[in-house]
Formats: sequence, structure tokens, C-alpha cells
Amino acid sequence: MTQPAVYIICSDQHRNGKTLLARTLLDYLLLEGRDPFAIDADVAKAPLRGFFPGRTALVDFETIPGQMKLFDTILASPGRDYVIDLPALQTERFFAVADDLKVFDALHEAGFRVVVFFIVDKRQTSALLAEAMGRRSGIDLAVPVVNKYVGSSWAERGYALGLPELNQSTFAAIGNKRVSLRAVAEGDAEGLNQPQQQEVIAFLSAVMRDLSDVDPIMSLKGLKT
Amino acid sequence: MKPTLILVGADKGGVGKTTISRSLLDYFARKNVLTRAFDTENPRGSLRRFYPGITEVIDLSNVAHQMKVLDTMETANVPVTVVDLKAGNLSYALDVFERIGVLEAARNGQFNLGLFHVVGPSIASLDEIGEIARYMSGVQYVLTRNFINETNFFEWDEATHKKYFAQISKAHEINIPKLNEMAYEQVDLAGVTFKDFVDNKAADGTPGKFSFVLRGYVKKWCNEIDEEYARVALVQELLSGRTANPRS
Repeated sequence: MTQPAVYIICSDQHRNGKTLLARTLLDYLLLEGRDPFAIDADVAKAPLRGFFPGRTALVDFETIPGQMKLFDTILASPGRDYVIDLPALQTERFFAVADDLKVFDALHEAGFRVVVFFIVDKRQTSALLAEAMGRRSGIDLAVPVVNKYVGSSWAERGYALGLPELNQSTFAAIGNKRVSLRAVAEGDAEGLNQPQQQEVIAFLSAVMRDLSDVDPIMSLKGLKT
Repeated sequence: MKPTLILVGADKGGVGKTTISRSLLDYFARKNVLTRAFDTENPRGSLRRFYPGITEVIDLSNVAHQMKVLDTMETANVPVTVVDLKAGNLSYALDVFERIGVLEAARNGQFNLGLFHVVGPSIASLDEIGEIARYMSGVQYVLTRNFINETNFFEWDEATHKKYFAQISKAHEINIPKLNEMAYEQVDLAGVTFKDFVDNKAADGTPGKFSFVLRGYVKKWCNEIDEEYARVALVQELLSGRTANPRS
């Protein structure tokens, strides 16, 4: 069985598809027969929790109890995957606290891999931050993510996971908390019309193909080091 | 090697004297230096709660108790003795030690003596320095600014401060950094040493169930304190004496 992972989804900018990627990743893991748990760090809007009620913890990372809820929960129940959806404003703080508390060491000791998805926005600094993420210690794999709809400064810097562009009506339709991407993939309409369903399926198969590459990439990286 | 006596005192209660005593005992434990402690907060003895094995509660106004500190300095075979002085009247305690010959013995080189003077977040506490300056010959004076529970400390006026500070030779000043309230409370509730909290050990020696996050914060705080204590000459001498002593 694949080693469990803590997936951290982050970016330096707002509104560029973090929660969409988190949703897709959670559905991908569920379709793979795994039992992921989600952590939504946006206490004000709780964008992720609505899609996965019952397997999402809402966490205010600005507070000590919030940090305890996040890290102590994960370390107390190893053996399953965790997907952390971080708001842009908390990304820097998250990694600073992780360094102070030696969180990545503890996660490795508990048997986790640490995978970061960094959404590379249009600004040049975003690409530089994504590259810096790749050089951070304690992270097993940093995956730059390019959201076609938002645009990206990543350009030709190397491998990046792509989020295909969805048309407005489809994007709006899947924003409804009752729509499960996983169910669409399995053939349910979920209230979407035919073209929307097809677009969602195309989107999912493209992203999930990239996600299924993450493990082999990590094994290759492991061989090199 | 020469034993070291460390007095921890303040003229005011609630400035974190016992916390400083705890952190000193903890620091030496992390450096594998044996310690013992006297708590003069008779009969309560809050230090004893954290260090029951090595702490004795004494009454400083009792002559037999006073002698206990001095008489056992040579024989205890423990390199470090920490005395947590009862809050208030630091000069009274120093006067007692002067009368019973503790300060004299230190001046004669029988042991090293240090005073960690814990000051609280008000400028008035600087007046205490003037009152105790006359006892400080032969004593390593360490002005200890305690930030552990404070977000804001007093306006530290450099000129005023230097005036007081100049009265004492061999003076150091250190800052005890802030530790977040939740971590501090949990260590207190558990009644364990900072070191055991970091190592996730409960008071009875069984594995603790302390929060990883809080342990991380305490550990970071301990690292910061280590740097402060490592700047004190008395501590440097003590630790270098230890390493010079091969494989002891």
C-alpha cells in the first residue's frame, strides 16, 4: 500500500483554484479507495468543508488551539491521507510554524510523506516562491500547479500539474455544495447538463492523470537522492 | 570541582521567580549537570511540585534551616545548588546569607555564587538594584528580565538603567523570552519539568499525552533560554569545568 501523505495546497495569491484542487485531490484519493481527511484553514469562508462534511476539520491556524487541532490531530491518527487547504494569507505563517516546531520531521517519523502543491499565479514572484518551495527541506515533493483559467508565471520552468480551464457555467455549477465531482466521474448527473458533465469528466481525467504521476515522480526523486 | 550556589530572588512577588528557578534547574538537567534546590517559600514550596526529588523547602528565618544550605555545599556532591528566595525582601535574604557567612565563603573562593535578580515589568524594580548592590562583592549578578508572561515590558530607559547597573561589577543581564500562555499552562497543570514536557514524559515517568504543538513551542523556548544562560560567565565556568573533567 502506498505510504500515507500530508498534502498541503497553497499559494501566495488568492482565488486561484486552491480549493478546486483540494476537492479534486480528495475525490481522487476517495476514488482510489483511500480514506483522506480534509483540513480547511479558511475559518471565515470554510470553502472546502461544505463539499466534504464529516471528513473536514475547520482550523484557525492563527491561534495556538488551531495549530494544535491541525498538527495534533494528524499526528494522533497517522495511517491516512490528509489534505490541507491553506488560504494565501496563512501560507507563510504555516511554513514558519512548521519549521519552528519541526513538524515535517515529526510527520516523517509518523510515516507520512509531505507533498506540497503550490499554485503558481501570474506574478513572477509566485514562480520564484514555487521554486523556493522545491528547495525547502522536509518536503518530499513540491508540485507547481498551473491553473489555465487564472494564468501563471511558471512558463517553461519544468514539470507542473495543470488545471484545465472550465467554462463559466460549468465552474458555477460545480460550485454548488451538493455537487460531488466524484459522483460525476462515476456517472451521476448531479444536476449538471450533458455538456457540463462532459467537461467535468474531461477536467477530472486530466487532473487525475497528473495526480497519478505524483507517486512515480516521487519514487524517481527518491532514487536520485 | 568548585560547587556553585545560585540564588534566585526578587523584591516583588509574581515576577516569575519560581519559573526562573525551574528553567535554571531544567537548563542544567539538559546539560547533564546534577542540581539540588532549596525553596524558601515555606511551607508552600511551589518549586517542589516540579522538582520533588531534589527540592527541600526551608524557612530562611530559621537558623537550623539557614545552616543547611551552607553546611551541605561541600558535602552534597552536587555541582549546582539553586535557592529560590521567597518573594519580597531580597535584601533580607542577602543579609541572612551575609550574617551566616555564605557571602564570605563565596568571596574566599569556597564556591561560586550567583544572584539571578528577577525584575518585573515596572521601572520601580530597578530601585532594588541599589538596595542590594552592597552585598554583591564576590557575587555574580545577573539581572533577569522576565518576558515569559508579558507581551509588553517596561520602557527600559538606557540612562537610568546604566546608572543602576554601574553600581555592580561582574553584572550580566539576560532576557527570559515569552512562552505562549497555553504551553505554559499545560506544563504547569502537568506538574512536570520543561524538559520532561518536551520529552513527552508525565510526572510519574509514564509516557505523556502532551500536545505535539505545545511541546514544540516549549522546546523552541528552551533553545532560546539556553542561549541566554550560555552568556552568563558563572554558567560558562560551570560547564567548562565539567567538560575539562574528562568523561565524568
